[in-house]
Amino acid sequence: MPAPAPVCPLELDAVSFGYNRGLVLCDVSLSVGQGEFVAVVGPNGSGKTTLMKLGLGLLAPGAGQVRLFGEDVTSFRRWWQVGYVPQRAAARSALPVSVEEVVLSGLAARARPFRRRSPEATARIEHVVELLGLEGLRRSRLAELSGGQQQRALIARALVTAPRLLVLDEPTTGVDAGARTVLRGSLQHLVEVEGMAVVYVSHDPEGFSGLAQRVVEVDGGGIRVRDERPAPRSVATG
Amino acid sequence: MNPFEFEFMQRAFVACAVIAAVAPLVGGFIVQRGQSLVGDGMGHVAFAGVGLAFLVGAEPVLGALAFTALAGLLLVRMGRAGLAGDLAIALIFYGGIAVGYLLSSRADAGQTRLVGLLFGSPLNLTWSEVGIIVALSATVVAVTVALYPRLVAMAFDEQAARVAGVPTDRMTLALTLMVALVVVGGMSSIGLLLISAMMVVPVAAAAQLASSYKGALGLASAVGAASAVLGLLAAHYRDYAPGSAIVLVAIACYAVATAWRSLTRRAAA
Repeated sequence: MPAPAPVCPLELDAVSFGYNRGLVLCDVSLSVGQGEFVAVVGPNGSGKTTLMKLGLGLLAPGAGQVRLFGEDVTSFRRWWQVGYVPQRAAARSALPVSVEEVVLSGLAARARPFRRRSPEATARIEHVVELLGLEGLRRSRLAELSGGQQQRALIARALVTAPRLLVLDEPTTGVDAGARTVLRGSLQHLVEVEGMAVVYVSHDPEGFSGLAQRVVEVDGGGIRVRDERPAPRSVATG
Repeated sequence: MNPFEFEFMQRAFVACAVIAAVAPLVGGFIVQRGQSLVGDGMGHVAFAGVGLAFLVGAEPVLGALAFTALAGLLLVRMGRAGLAGDLAIALIFYGGIAVGYLLSSRADAGQTRLVGLLFGSPLNLTWSEVGIIVALSATVVAVTVALYPRLVAMAFDEQAARVAGVPTDRMTLALTLMVALVVVGGMSSIGLLLISAMMVVPVAAAAQLASSYKGALGLASAVGAASAVLGLLAAHYRDYAPGSAIVLVAIACYAVATAWRSLTRRAAA
Protein backbone atom coordinates (compact mmCIF):
# COMPACT_ATOMS: atom_id res chain seq x y z
CA MET A 1 0.00 0.00 0.00
CA PRO A 2 1.58 3.33 -0.98
CA ALA A 3 2.39 5.83 1.77
CA PRO A 4 -0.04 8.74 1.97
CA ALA A 5 1.14 11.92 0.25
CA PRO A 6 2.66 14.38 2.73
CA VAL A 7 0.33 17.20 3.66
CA CYS A 8 1.63 20.63 2.71
CA PRO A 9 1.64 23.13 5.58
CA LEU A 10 0.64 25.90 3.16
CA GLU A 11 -1.00 25.83 -0.27
CA LEU A 12 -2.38 28.64 -2.37
CA ASP A 13 -4.33 27.40 -5.35
CA ALA A 14 -5.10 29.85 -8.20
CA VAL A 15 -5.54 32.70 -5.73
CA SER A 16 -6.47 36.21 -6.84
CA PHE A 17 -6.89 39.22 -4.62
CA GLY A 18 -7.44 42.92 -5.16
CA TYR A 19 -8.06 46.08 -3.24
CA ASN A 20 -10.19 48.92 -4.59
CA ARG A 21 -7.40 50.05 -6.88
CA GLY A 22 -7.32 46.73 -8.72
CA LEU A 23 -5.85 43.26 -8.61
CA VAL A 24 -2.72 42.84 -6.49
CA LEU A 25 -2.33 39.11 -7.07
CA CYS A 26 -3.75 37.22 -10.03
CA ASP A 27 -4.06 33.43 -10.28
CA VAL A 28 -1.17 32.66 -7.95
CA SER A 29 -0.37 29.10 -6.92
CA LEU A 30 2.25 28.19 -4.36
CA SER A 31 2.85 25.36 -1.94
CA VAL A 32 5.28 25.13 0.93
CA GLY A 33 6.30 21.68 2.09
CA GLN A 34 7.27 20.43 5.52
CA GLY A 35 10.88 21.27 6.36
CA GLU A 36 11.10 23.78 3.53
CA PHE A 37 12.42 27.33 3.80
CA VAL A 38 10.76 29.63 1.29
CA ALA A 39 11.71 33.29 0.96
CA VAL A 40 9.18 35.74 -0.47
CA VAL A 41 10.71 38.85 -2.01
CA GLY A 42 9.57 41.80 -4.07
CA PRO A 43 9.56 45.57 -4.18
CA ASN A 44 7.43 47.64 -1.82
CA GLY A 45 3.76 47.37 -2.72
CA SER A 46 4.29 44.29 -4.90
CA GLY A 47 1.93 42.19 -2.80
CA LYS A 48 4.30 39.99 -0.79
CA THR A 49 2.68 40.90 2.55
CA THR A 50 -0.74 40.44 0.92
CA LEU A 51 0.35 36.98 -0.23
CA MET A 52 1.40 36.14 3.30
CA LYS A 53 -1.84 37.47 4.83
CA LEU A 54 -3.88 35.41 2.36
CA GLY A 55 -1.91 32.35 3.41
CA LEU A 56 -2.71 33.01 7.07
CA GLY A 57 -6.40 33.68 6.51
CA LEU A 58 -6.03 37.34 7.51
CA LEU A 59 -7.38 38.29 4.08
CA ALA A 60 -9.99 36.43 2.06
CA PRO A 61 -9.10 35.75 -1.59
CA GLY A 62 -11.39 37.03 -4.32
CA ALA A 63 -10.84 33.75 -6.16
CA GLY A 64 -8.98 30.52 -5.50
CA GLN A 65 -8.38 28.52 -2.36
CA VAL A 66 -5.93 28.64 0.53
CA ARG A 67 -5.21 25.51 2.54
CA LEU A 68 -3.30 25.06 5.78
CA PHE A 69 -2.19 21.48 6.44
CA GLY A 70 -4.64 20.29 3.80
CA GLU A 71 -7.65 22.09 5.26
CA ASP A 72 -9.39 25.15 3.86
CA VAL A 73 -8.14 28.17 5.79
CA THR A 74 -11.68 29.36 6.54
CA SER A 75 -12.47 26.18 8.46
CA PHE A 76 -8.95 25.62 9.84
CA ARG A 77 -8.93 25.45 13.66
CA ARG A 78 -5.52 23.94 14.55
CA TRP A 79 -3.88 27.34 14.76
CA TRP A 80 -1.24 26.14 17.23
CA GLN A 81 0.40 24.54 14.19
CA VAL A 82 1.04 28.00 12.75
CA GLY A 83 3.45 30.61 14.12
CA TYR A 84 3.35 34.18 12.85
CA VAL A 85 5.95 36.88 13.42
CA PRO A 86 4.56 40.22 12.21
CA GLN A 87 6.63 43.26 11.42
CA ARG A 88 8.14 44.61 14.61
CA ALA A 89 6.21 47.88 14.19
CA ALA A 90 3.13 45.90 15.20
CA ALA A 91 4.74 45.33 18.59
CA ARG A 92 4.52 48.99 19.62
CA SER A 93 2.66 49.12 22.88
CA ALA A 94 0.93 51.95 24.73
CA LEU A 95 1.18 49.94 27.91
CA PRO A 96 4.33 48.32 29.25
CA VAL A 97 4.55 44.66 28.35
CA SER A 98 7.25 42.31 29.57
CA VAL A 99 9.05 39.78 27.39
CA GLU A 100 7.47 36.94 29.37
CA GLU A 101 3.98 38.36 28.77
CA VAL A 102 4.67 38.62 25.04
CA VAL A 103 5.79 35.00 24.88
CA LEU A 104 2.86 33.87 27.02
CA SER A 105 0.37 35.63 24.74
CA GLY A 106 1.23 33.04 22.07
CA LEU A 107 -0.59 30.47 24.23
CA ALA A 108 -3.68 32.65 24.79
CA ALA A 109 -5.96 30.62 22.52
CA ARG A 110 -5.31 27.48 24.56
CA ALA A 111 -5.63 29.13 27.99
CA ARG A 112 -8.68 27.97 29.96
CA PRO A 113 -10.69 30.47 31.99
CA PHE A 114 -9.87 30.54 35.72
CA ARG A 115 -7.23 27.80 35.28
CA ARG A 116 -3.57 28.04 36.18
CA ARG A 117 -0.97 27.58 33.47
CA SER A 118 -0.27 23.90 32.79
CA PRO A 119 3.20 22.40 33.44
CA GLU A 120 3.44 21.66 29.68
CA ALA A 121 2.86 25.33 28.86
CA THR A 122 5.46 26.39 31.41
CA ALA A 123 7.96 23.91 29.97
CA ARG A 124 7.27 25.19 26.45
CA ILE A 125 7.84 28.78 27.55
CA GLU A 126 11.12 27.79 29.19
CA HIS A 127 12.16 26.02 26.00
CA VAL A 128 11.57 28.93 23.63
CA VAL A 129 13.01 31.49 26.04
CA GLU A 130 16.18 29.41 26.16
CA LEU A 131 16.18 28.74 22.40
CA LEU A 132 16.01 32.47 21.63
CA GLY A 133 18.47 33.45 24.37
CA LEU A 134 15.96 35.51 26.33
CA GLU A 135 16.63 34.08 29.81
CA GLY A 136 17.93 37.31 31.31
CA LEU A 137 15.28 39.48 29.69
CA ARG A 138 12.05 37.82 30.81
CA ARG A 139 10.93 40.67 33.06
CA SER A 140 12.27 43.47 30.84
CA ARG A 141 9.92 45.89 29.14
CA LEU A 142 9.74 45.02 25.46
CA ALA A 143 9.89 48.67 24.43
CA GLU A 144 13.24 49.13 26.19
CA LEU A 145 15.00 46.30 24.32
CA SER A 146 17.04 46.54 21.15
CA GLY A 147 15.44 45.74 17.79
CA GLY A 148 17.05 42.31 17.70
CA GLN A 149 15.90 41.44 21.22
CA GLN A 150 12.35 42.55 20.43
CA GLN A 151 12.38 40.41 17.31
CA ARG A 152 13.56 37.39 19.28
CA ALA A 153 10.71 37.92 21.76
CA LEU A 154 8.18 37.97 18.90
CA ILE A 155 9.67 34.83 17.40
CA ALA A 156 9.54 33.15 20.81
CA ARG A 157 5.83 34.02 20.97
CA ALA A 158 5.30 32.43 17.58
CA LEU A 159 7.22 29.29 18.56
CA VAL A 160 5.66 28.72 21.96
CA THR A 161 2.91 26.50 20.55
CA ALA A 162 5.49 24.31 18.76
CA PRO A 163 4.14 25.16 15.29
CA ARG A 164 4.97 23.25 12.11
CA LEU A 165 4.72 26.35 9.92
CA LEU A 166 6.45 29.62 10.80
CA VAL A 167 5.71 32.81 8.84
CA LEU A 168 7.97 35.83 9.36
CA ASP A 169 7.27 39.30 7.94
CA GLU A 170 10.39 41.45 7.47
CA PRO A 171 12.11 39.94 10.50
CA THR A 172 15.43 41.73 10.07
CA THR A 173 14.15 45.28 9.69
CA GLY A 174 15.94 47.46 12.24
CA VAL A 175 17.94 44.52 13.56
CA ASP A 176 21.72 44.76 14.06
CA ALA A 177 24.22 42.40 12.42
CA GLY A 178 24.81 40.34 15.58
CA ALA A 179 21.11 39.74 16.08
CA ARG A 180 20.74 38.77 12.40
CA THR A 181 23.36 36.08 12.90
CA VAL A 182 21.51 34.74 15.95
CA LEU A 183 18.24 34.80 13.99
CA ARG A 184 19.79 32.89 11.07
CA GLY A 185 21.12 30.24 13.44
CA SER A 186 17.71 29.83 15.09
CA LEU A 187 15.91 29.51 11.76
CA GLN A 188 18.45 27.01 10.46
CA HIS A 189 17.92 24.91 13.59
CA LEU A 190 14.12 25.07 13.19
CA VAL A 191 14.19 23.95 9.57
CA GLU A 192 17.00 21.39 9.61
CA VAL A 193 16.57 19.90 13.08
CA GLU A 194 12.87 20.39 13.87
CA GLY A 195 11.63 20.04 10.27
CA MET A 196 9.59 23.22 10.43
CA ALA A 197 8.32 24.91 7.28
CA VAL A 198 9.38 28.56 7.15
CA VAL A 199 7.98 31.37 4.99
CA TYR A 200 10.28 34.37 5.21
CA VAL A 201 8.95 37.62 3.72
CA SER A 202 11.68 40.20 3.21
CA HIS A 203 13.16 42.70 0.80
CA ASP A 204 16.60 41.97 2.24
CA PRO A 205 18.24 38.84 0.73
CA GLU A 206 21.00 38.82 3.34
CA GLY A 207 18.58 37.44 5.91
CA PHE A 208 17.78 34.26 3.96
CA SER A 209 20.63 33.66 1.52
CA GLY A 210 22.07 30.21 2.09
CA LEU A 211 18.95 29.19 4.03
CA ALA A 212 16.16 29.47 1.46
CA GLN A 213 15.46 26.46 -0.73
CA ARG A 214 13.20 28.52 -2.94
CA VAL A 215 12.82 32.23 -3.53
CA VAL A 216 9.40 33.48 -4.58
CA GLU A 217 9.51 36.83 -6.29
CA VAL A 218 6.22 38.74 -6.22
CA ASP A 219 5.81 41.38 -8.89
CA GLY A 220 3.20 42.61 -11.34
CA GLY A 221 0.41 40.53 -9.78
CA GLY A 222 2.19 37.21 -10.29
CA ILE A 223 5.05 35.21 -8.82
CA ARG A 224 8.28 33.72 -10.14
CA VAL A 225 9.81 30.82 -8.24
CA ARG A 226 13.54 30.16 -8.21
CA ASP A 227 15.17 27.07 -6.72
CA GLU A 228 18.13 27.97 -4.53
CA ARG A 229 19.21 24.66 -3.04
CA PRO A 230 17.85 21.11 -2.71
CA ALA A 231 14.59 20.73 -0.86
CA PRO A 232 14.31 17.03 -0.03
CA ARG A 233 10.98 17.25 1.77
CA SER A 234 9.41 20.02 -0.21
CA VAL A 235 6.60 20.12 -2.71
CA ALA A 236 7.81 22.62 -5.26
CA THR A 237 5.27 24.19 -7.52
CA GLY A 238 4.92 27.70 -8.72
CA MET B 1 -16.10 66.36 60.56
CA ASN B 2 -15.21 62.79 59.68
CA PRO B 3 -16.87 62.07 56.31
CA PHE B 4 -16.89 58.33 56.98
CA GLU B 5 -19.44 58.83 59.77
CA PHE B 6 -22.15 59.79 57.29
CA GLU B 7 -24.03 56.99 55.58
CA PHE B 8 -24.43 58.94 52.33
CA MET B 9 -20.65 59.36 52.25
CA GLN B 10 -20.12 55.67 52.97
CA ARG B 11 -22.33 54.84 49.99
CA ALA B 12 -20.42 57.30 47.82
CA PHE B 13 -17.02 55.90 48.89
CA VAL B 14 -18.04 52.30 48.18
CA ALA B 15 -19.66 53.05 44.80
CA CYS B 16 -16.95 55.39 43.49
CA ALA B 17 -13.98 53.37 44.76
CA VAL B 18 -15.35 50.14 43.29
CA ILE B 19 -16.22 51.51 39.84
CA ALA B 20 -13.03 53.61 39.69
CA ALA B 21 -10.96 50.52 40.52
CA VAL B 22 -12.69 48.41 37.87
CA ALA B 23 -12.82 50.98 35.04
CA PRO B 24 -9.03 50.87 34.37
CA LEU B 25 -9.15 47.06 34.04
CA VAL B 26 -11.23 47.56 30.91
CA GLY B 27 -9.42 50.77 30.01
CA GLY B 28 -6.11 48.94 29.84
CA PHE B 29 -7.32 47.04 26.81
CA ILE B 30 -9.04 49.89 24.99
CA VAL B 31 -6.05 52.21 25.47
CA GLN B 32 -3.74 49.55 24.08
CA ARG B 33 -6.05 49.15 21.06
CA GLY B 34 -5.99 52.91 20.43
CA GLN B 35 -9.68 53.29 21.34
CA SER B 36 -9.36 55.58 24.33
CA LEU B 37 -12.48 57.54 23.38
CA VAL B 38 -14.83 54.59 22.99
CA GLY B 39 -15.93 54.90 26.63
CA ASP B 40 -16.78 58.55 26.06
CA GLY B 41 -18.87 57.61 23.05
CA MET B 42 -20.63 54.87 25.01
CA GLY B 43 -21.52 57.48 27.63
CA HIS B 44 -23.22 59.52 24.89
CA VAL B 45 -25.18 56.47 23.75
CA ALA B 46 -26.14 55.58 27.32
CA PHE B 47 -27.65 59.04 27.65
CA ALA B 48 -30.11 58.18 24.87
CA GLY B 49 -31.16 55.10 26.86
CA VAL B 50 -31.56 57.22 29.98
CA GLY B 51 -33.72 59.67 28.03
CA LEU B 52 -35.98 56.90 26.79
CA ALA B 53 -36.21 55.45 30.31
CA PHE B 54 -37.32 58.85 31.62
CA LEU B 55 -39.94 59.07 28.88
CA VAL B 56 -41.48 55.64 29.58
CA GLY B 57 -40.98 55.75 33.35
CA ALA B 58 -38.41 52.96 33.50
CA GLU B 59 -35.19 52.75 35.53
CA PRO B 60 -32.47 54.86 33.85
CA VAL B 61 -29.91 52.11 34.43
CA LEU B 62 -31.99 49.69 32.35
CA GLY B 63 -32.30 52.15 29.47
CA ALA B 64 -28.57 52.85 29.57
CA LEU B 65 -27.73 49.13 29.66
CA ALA B 66 -29.99 48.35 26.70
CA PHE B 67 -28.69 51.18 24.53
CA THR B 68 -25.00 50.67 25.28
CA ALA B 69 -25.31 46.93 24.68
CA LEU B 70 -27.06 47.58 21.35
CA ALA B 71 -24.44 50.16 20.40
CA GLY B 72 -21.71 47.67 21.30
CA LEU B 73 -23.22 45.01 19.06
CA LEU B 74 -23.70 47.53 16.26
CA LEU B 75 -20.09 48.75 16.49
CA VAL B 76 -18.71 45.22 16.35
CA ARG B 77 -20.93 44.36 13.35
CA MET B 78 -19.86 47.54 11.61
CA GLY B 79 -16.25 46.67 12.33
CA ARG B 80 -16.67 43.24 10.75
CA ALA B 81 -18.29 44.81 7.71
CA GLY B 82 -15.52 47.39 7.44
CA LEU B 83 -17.97 50.21 8.17
CA ALA B 84 -16.64 51.28 11.58
CA GLY B 85 -14.97 54.38 10.24
CA ASP B 86 -14.38 57.46 12.29
CA LEU B 87 -17.41 59.26 10.83
CA ALA B 88 -19.84 56.37 11.32
CA ILE B 89 -18.82 55.99 14.96
CA ALA B 90 -19.11 59.75 15.52
CA LEU B 91 -22.64 59.72 14.08
CA ILE B 92 -23.72 57.01 16.50
CA PHE B 93 -22.15 58.69 19.51
CA TYR B 94 -23.32 62.26 18.80
CA GLY B 95 -26.71 60.97 17.75
CA GLY B 96 -26.89 59.30 21.17
CA ILE B 97 -26.43 62.47 23.18
CA ALA B 98 -28.77 64.42 20.92
CA VAL B 99 -31.52 61.81 21.24
CA GLY B 100 -30.87 61.57 24.98
CA TYR B 101 -31.40 65.26 25.56
CA LEU B 102 -34.40 65.37 23.22
CA LEU B 103 -36.14 62.52 25.06
CA SER B 104 -35.18 63.83 28.49
CA SER B 105 -36.60 67.26 27.74
CA ARG B 106 -39.81 65.67 26.42
CA ALA B 107 -40.02 63.65 29.64
CA ASP B 108 -39.43 66.78 31.73
CA ALA B 109 -36.72 64.94 33.67
CA GLY B 110 -35.39 68.06 35.37
CA GLN B 111 -32.01 69.72 34.91
CA THR B 112 -30.66 68.65 38.32
CA ARG B 113 -31.29 64.99 37.60
CA LEU B 114 -29.76 65.24 34.13
CA VAL B 115 -26.65 67.04 35.37
CA GLY B 116 -26.34 64.40 38.09
CA LEU B 117 -26.30 61.62 35.50
CA LEU B 118 -23.93 63.40 33.14
CA PHE B 119 -21.41 64.53 35.78
CA GLY B 120 -22.16 62.18 38.69
CA SER B 121 -24.00 62.59 41.97
CA PRO B 122 -22.51 59.95 44.27
CA LEU B 123 -23.80 61.64 47.41
CA ASN B 124 -27.39 60.89 46.37
CA LEU B 125 -26.98 57.14 45.84
CA THR B 126 -29.14 54.61 47.64
CA TRP B 127 -27.78 51.29 48.90
CA SER B 128 -29.67 49.45 46.16
CA GLU B 129 -27.96 51.64 43.55
CA VAL B 130 -24.62 50.90 45.20
CA GLY B 131 -25.51 47.21 44.99
CA ILE B 132 -26.12 47.51 41.24
CA ILE B 133 -22.75 49.25 40.78
CA VAL B 134 -20.97 46.54 42.77
CA ALA B 135 -22.75 43.78 40.80
CA LEU B 136 -21.85 45.34 37.43
CA SER B 137 -18.26 45.81 38.60
CA ALA B 138 -18.03 42.21 39.81
CA THR B 139 -19.27 41.02 36.42
CA VAL B 140 -16.58 43.06 34.66
CA VAL B 141 -13.86 41.69 36.97
CA ALA B 142 -15.02 38.09 36.45
CA VAL B 143 -15.08 38.45 32.64
CA THR B 144 -11.69 40.19 32.64
CA VAL B 145 -10.11 37.42 34.72
CA ALA B 146 -11.72 34.70 32.59
CA LEU B 147 -10.65 36.21 29.27
CA TYR B 148 -7.43 37.88 30.42
CA PRO B 149 -4.89 35.92 28.30
CA ARG B 150 -6.98 36.35 25.13
CA LEU B 151 -7.68 40.01 25.79
CA VAL B 152 -3.98 40.69 26.33
CA ALA B 153 -3.01 38.82 23.16
CA MET B 154 -5.62 40.71 21.12
CA ALA B 155 -4.82 44.10 22.62
CA PHE B 156 -1.11 43.66 22.01
CA ASP B 157 -1.34 42.46 18.40
CA GLU B 158 -4.74 41.62 16.94
CA GLN B 159 -3.50 39.96 13.75
CA ALA B 160 -0.98 37.77 15.56
CA ALA B 161 -3.70 36.84 18.04
CA ARG B 162 -6.00 35.80 15.18
CA VAL B 163 -3.30 33.63 13.68
CA ALA B 164 -2.72 32.12 17.13
CA GLY B 165 -6.38 31.07 17.18
CA VAL B 166 -7.81 33.76 19.47
CA PRO B 167 -11.45 34.47 18.46
CA THR B 168 -10.81 38.20 18.11
CA ASP B 169 -14.34 39.06 16.94
CA ARG B 170 -15.82 37.55 20.09
CA MET B 171 -13.15 39.16 22.26
CA THR B 172 -13.89 42.55 20.69
CA LEU B 173 -17.57 42.07 21.45
CA ALA B 174 -16.82 41.06 25.04
CA LEU B 175 -14.56 44.08 25.49
CA THR B 176 -17.16 46.46 24.03
CA LEU B 177 -19.85 45.06 26.33
CA MET B 178 -17.53 45.45 29.30
CA VAL B 179 -17.05 49.11 28.37
CA ALA B 180 -20.84 49.40 28.34
CA LEU B 181 -21.09 47.83 31.82
CA VAL B 182 -18.49 50.22 33.22
CA VAL B 183 -20.24 53.23 31.67
CA VAL B 184 -23.58 52.17 33.14
CA GLY B 185 -21.94 51.34 36.48
CA GLY B 186 -20.30 54.75 36.63
CA MET B 187 -23.32 56.68 35.40
CA SER B 188 -24.83 57.82 38.67
CA SER B 189 -21.60 57.92 40.67
CA ILE B 190 -18.93 59.57 38.50
CA GLY B 191 -21.14 60.56 35.57
CA LEU B 192 -21.75 59.46 32.00
CA LEU B 193 -19.37 62.08 30.61
CA LEU B 194 -16.63 61.53 33.20
CA ILE B 195 -16.51 57.77 33.76
CA SER B 196 -14.60 57.23 30.52
CA ALA B 197 -11.79 59.33 31.99
CA MET B 198 -11.44 56.75 34.75
CA MET B 199 -10.93 54.06 32.09
CA VAL B 200 -8.09 55.98 30.52
CA VAL B 201 -6.29 58.35 32.93
CA PRO B 202 -5.31 55.82 35.64
CA VAL B 203 -4.00 53.53 32.89
CA ALA B 204 -1.91 56.36 31.44
CA ALA B 205 -0.51 57.07 34.92
CA ALA B 206 0.29 53.42 35.64
CA ALA B 207 1.94 52.95 32.24
CA GLN B 208 4.61 55.44 33.34
CA LEU B 209 5.67 53.31 36.29
CA ALA B 210 4.89 49.64 35.65
CA SER B 211 7.11 47.19 33.79
CA SER B 212 4.48 44.65 32.81
CA TYR B 213 0.93 44.61 31.48
CA LYS B 214 -0.43 42.90 34.57
CA GLY B 215 1.47 45.31 36.80
CA ALA B 216 0.11 48.28 34.86
CA LEU B 217 -3.48 47.07 35.20
CA GLY B 218 -3.07 46.44 38.93
CA LEU B 219 -1.46 49.82 39.52
CA ALA B 220 -4.09 51.57 37.36
CA SER B 221 -6.83 49.96 39.44
CA ALA B 222 -5.18 51.24 42.63
CA VAL B 223 -4.78 54.73 41.13
CA GLY B 224 -8.46 54.69 40.16
CA ALA B 225 -9.64 53.70 43.65
CA ALA B 226 -7.30 56.19 45.35
CA SER B 227 -8.49 58.97 43.03
CA ALA B 228 -12.09 58.19 43.95
CA VAL B 229 -11.40 58.35 47.68
CA LEU B 230 -9.26 61.51 47.48
CA GLY B 231 -11.72 63.17 45.08
CA LEU B 232 -14.63 62.45 47.42
CA LEU B 233 -12.65 63.81 50.37
CA ALA B 234 -11.97 66.97 48.38
CA ALA B 235 -15.65 67.17 47.52
CA HIS B 236 -16.57 66.78 51.19
CA TYR B 237 -14.11 69.27 52.66
CA ARG B 238 -13.96 71.83 49.83
CA ASP B 239 -17.46 71.43 48.41
CA TYR B 240 -16.20 70.47 44.95
CA ALA B 241 -18.32 68.59 42.40
CA PRO B 242 -17.45 64.92 43.26
CA GLY B 243 -17.20 63.51 39.73
CA SER B 244 -14.97 66.34 38.57
CA ALA B 245 -12.80 66.14 41.70
CA ILE B 246 -12.24 62.40 41.18
CA VAL B 247 -11.16 62.85 37.56
CA LEU B 248 -8.91 65.80 38.41
CA VAL B 249 -7.16 63.78 41.14
CA ALA B 250 -6.56 61.02 38.57
CA ILE B 251 -5.09 63.57 36.16
CA ALA B 252 -2.85 64.86 38.98
CA CYS B 253 -1.69 61.25 39.53
CA TYR B 254 -0.81 61.05 35.84
CA ALA B 255 1.20 64.31 36.07
CA VAL B 256 3.08 63.06 39.14
CA ALA B 257 3.78 59.66 37.53
CA THR B 258 5.05 61.32 34.35
CA ALA B 259 7.32 63.66 36.32
CA TRP B 260 8.60 60.75 38.42
CA ARG B 261 9.41 58.68 35.35
CA SER B 262 11.16 61.61 33.74
CA LEU B 263 13.25 62.22 36.87
CA THR B 264 14.21 58.57 37.31
CA ARG B 265 15.16 58.30 33.64
CA ARG B 266 17.40 61.35 33.91
CA ALA B 267 18.99 60.00 37.07
CA ALA B 268 19.65 56.66 35.35
CA ALA B 269 21.16 58.33 32.25
